[in-house]
Amino acid sequence: MIISTTPLLDIKGLNAGYGGVRVLHDVSLSVGQGEFVTVIGANTAGKSTLLRTISGLVEAQGSIRFDGQELVGRPSHLVPALGIAHVPEGRHVFPEMTVEENVMLGAYAVRSASDLATRRDRILTMFPRLRERLHQAAGTLSGGEQQMVAIGRALMLEPKLLLLDEPSHGLAPKIVDELHETFLAVSRTGTAILLIEQNTTLALSVASRGYVLEAGRIVLSGTSAELTGNDAVRSAYLGL
Amino acid sequence: MSRLSSTQWIMIAVLVAVAIAIPFLFDPRGYGIRILCLALLFAAMAQSWNIVAGLANQISLGHAAFFGIGAYTSTLLLIHFGLTPWLGMIAAAVLGGLAAFLISLPTMRLRGHYFALATLAFGEVMRVIGNSWGGLTGGPVGISVPFSQPSLMALQFKDMRAYYALMLGAVVVVTAIFVVIKRSRLGYRLRAIKENEDAAEVIGVDTTRTKILASVISGMLTASLGTLYAQFQFFFDPDTVFGIASVSIRMAMIAIVGGIGTAAGPILGAFFVIPLEELANQVFSAKAAGLSQLVFGVLLILVILIEPKGFMAIGPRLKRLFARGDR
Ligand SMILES: Nc1ncnc2c1ncn2[C@@H]1O[C@H](COP(=O)(O)OP(=O)(O)O)[C@@H](O)[C@H]1O
Ligand SMILES: [Mg+2]
Repeated sequence: MIISTTPLLDIKGLNAGYGGVRVLHDVSLSVGQGEFVTVIGANTAGKSTLLRTISGLVEAQGSIRFDGQELVGRPSHLVPALGIAHVPEGRHVFPEMTVEENVMLGAYAVRSASDLATRRDRILTMFPRLRERLHQAAGTLSGGEQQMVAIGRALMLEPKLLLLDEPSHGLAPKIVDELHETFLAVSRTGTAILLIEQNTTLALSVASRGYVLEAGRIVLSGTSAELTGNDAVRSAYLGL
Repeated sequence: MSRLSSTQWIMIAVLVAVAIAIPFLFDPRGYGIRILCLALLFAAMAQSWNIVAGLANQISLGHAAFFGIGAYTSTLLLIHFGLTPWLGMIAAAVLGGLAAFLISLPTMRLRGHYFALATLAFGEVMRVIGNSWGGLTGGPVGISVPFSQPSLMALQFKDMRAYYALMLGAVVVVTAIFVVIKRSRLGYRLRAIKENEDAAEVIGVDTTRTKILASVISGMLTASLGTLYAQFQFFFDPDTVFGIASVSIRMAMIAIVGGIGTAAGPILGAFFVIPLEELANQVFSAKAAGLSQLVFGVLLILVILIEPKGFMAIGPRLKRLFARGDR
């Protein structure tokens, strides 16, 4: 197969860490336009660090090409405007702001866009529960609803790439299913997604391709079907 | 962005009327009005601190650095060049803002107590410099503001009521700046940072620049108030204007006791803390040195433990209480 287009996100030889302690070692990874990719790995493997590095929150060497631009060395506050939305680990809402304020702030980097009201309505249609709680302080919502706020906020950007860091963590199975339905719907609109999930079975069921990260190194990659069939993955991450 | 409600306008009108009436109740040369002036000055100082601590949640314990810079800048310019303290105050604000900018560069990425400790150290460094650079500051013996013919231009007055008006003006100006910032786009960014810095960063807020900007404004205002303090006291030394307890912690305490992040908090706090401090000094000082400070410290800790949101939380609390009673 000949791949004619360059990937949307193309990471090559990435090293990153905190204050001299290296967490990511020579990581190479790509996400195509509109592709749904997952990174699986144990706790402290460096999954969150990988997403944070893409967002410019962690010092890095190597190359992160996104949509024709180099991200390494770019300050984090300039990354969203390029079309990367990040839903960080943990439920990161602005607790004392209303649901509406939270959602609208997602468009902070593109605040001069003329279609903000349309974007907002699209998100509230996607998450009808948020529409009911529009003027409620986000901190008073349930865990699942707060995660919807964080995701809705990220989608306000209409990103080319959506980074999701354990969005299902600590949520009821019914909510988790709902969220993943939403991710698939978002993916169908052409938004590329890079998903991290503790629940590997779930991650491989929605993503089309995946990477396995172990102690900061990519040790394996393949389609979701290949990874699900891989013996090492089955024993280490799928508990089979 | 909400406008002031009519009850808020009425409250402000009542406050202004009371503020104008108060000095006429006191002996114009007496002790009472001096305490009043100090309370107003500290209200303005705590309000300046509130801009960076209350809005951005960066709890500084080093604001004495800016205060002292302000006091020394205008006083030295007056002594050596005969410059009017009004221009001295502008120079003070510039230097205070510059100092705030420089200290922000290495500290703004620090959070919580790391930031507090770093700023505390900065204040202490300034105090040590003030004490050891005697050639410039006069060292530990302190420095006197030269007397001149009392006038508005010279920022010196015979009548304490003039100082009262000056300090009241300072409170009004700094509080207005606080409110304008809080309601501006900068205030919205600061609020996002305060509520969740990580989330603010990933939506594209330049958190470092935003915090530095707030810090510089706060440093400029604090330094200007240092000039007012010098003109009011006529004499000061490094341990007083660069002091941790006398300035840095006091500013923080006043805002916290009154209600951090609110416009009225620092004013309520100052009119609680400063008179109480004076009272404690009078009751205890003669008997046991330091006892008054201990009692005072315990009182403050109690207030903070009982209601971390300060006096400003009492109103809503009462409201809730009554609302429950209605049902
Ligand atoms: N802010 C930080 N400062 C220092 N070390 C960190 C920081 N965040 C994560 N680490 C370290 O980096 C490693 C990878 O963490 P993380 O990326 O959170 O892993 P994962 O998301 O896969 O659980 C861990 O050893 C963790 O202790
Ligand atoms: Mg993680």
